[in-house]
Amino acid sequence: MLDKIQKDREKRQSAWEAVINYFRKRSLYMLHYCTGCGAIELPPIMTSRWDMERFGIAPMATPRQADILLVTGYASQKTIKRLIYTYEQMPNPKWVLGFGSCTINGGIYWDSYNVINKLDRYIPIDLFISGCMPRPQSILSAMKKLQEMIGKGEAKGYERYKQNYEWYKKNQRKLLERETPFLDGGEK
Amino acid sequence: MKIKEMLENIKKEFPYIGTEIQEEKQARIYVCNDKFLNILTYLRNEKFEHLANIFAIDWIDEKEFEINYNLWSYEYLVSIIVKVRIPRDKAKIPTALNIWDHAQIYEREVHEFFGIEFIGNPDLSPLFLHNWKDLPPMRKDFDTEAFSRKAFDVGEREGEK
Repeated sequence: MLDKIQKDREKRQSAWEAVINYFRKRSLYMLHYCTGCGAIELPPIMTSRWDMERFGIAPMATPRQADILLVTGYASQKTIKRLIYTYEQMPNPKWVLGFGSCTINGGIYWDSYNVINKLDRYIPIDLFISGCMPRPQSILSAMKKLQEMIGKGEAKGYERYKQNYEWYKKNQRKLLERETPFLDGGEK
Repeated sequence: MKIKEMLENIKKEFPYIGTEIQEEKQARIYVCNDKFLNILTYLRNEKFEHLANIFAIDWIDEKEFEINYNLWSYEYLVSIIVKVRIPRDKAKIPTALNIWDHAQIYEREVHEFFGIEFIGNPDLSPLFLHNWKDLPPMRKDFDTEAFSRKAFDVGEREGEK
């Protein structure tokens, strides 16, 4: 009996989720974090050339009211701290788009002392857009893909962050709150 | 005044410097450590009043740092770089703060990225880097690749075996 109630509830909940997701994917506000390069690829997306608003995606000025965080290009050790603040201020559900090769593996800054290599180790990323730079078309296709994933309930980066919170925090702390040099013979 | 005459005038005043004309509007002056402040003061009084920046070069094979003062004259529209060589080990150089006030921030940056001590500069605290504990990163003996691997947990990349 109890089993049946539980199952019914789950069924109702998943149906409810599906309806919610259907509406969610058509109403997204995007916060773009453009300290790296590539912000110049966004104006054609927002304006009449490709016009992302016809898909229901609009730019947003504050993290408290945003759904998507778009991180363009490289993140340095100093910006990653601000990026984490921004990400944690956003309310659930939230999604992150990694834009450009630098968010995937460091790109051309792969051996730099200041550019972090895998952004996925510090905040959970739902979708990467590869390329250096990605063209506006690929950004648009990524947005459509993200909408598809949200509609199906596949984009669960924010839940991954909640479940693996300790792991993400450990990585962040290792970089930002270190007390000893990484290499031998440090300390000037 | 042509740049050639200008350098000859400077050379008359300071016979111990080396000069080199690079282009029509650009010249270099080589000078040793303990006398470069005289040159900078002289140049400032001779209408080279704009210190555009201070930068350092690490000549690791010669075990020397080279500090460069990039000067610009609005009067003659000529740029002069004053180059000072100092030994690399425990590098120290007097500050140019008494000649230009804004040398402070340039010296702070050079100190952060090369570890060069500017004697007389009151504030050499970190400026750009976040919580930096290793060797200053622009020195040639700092291994950026090894640092990147350790700090950002890269592991083995694809195609490397």
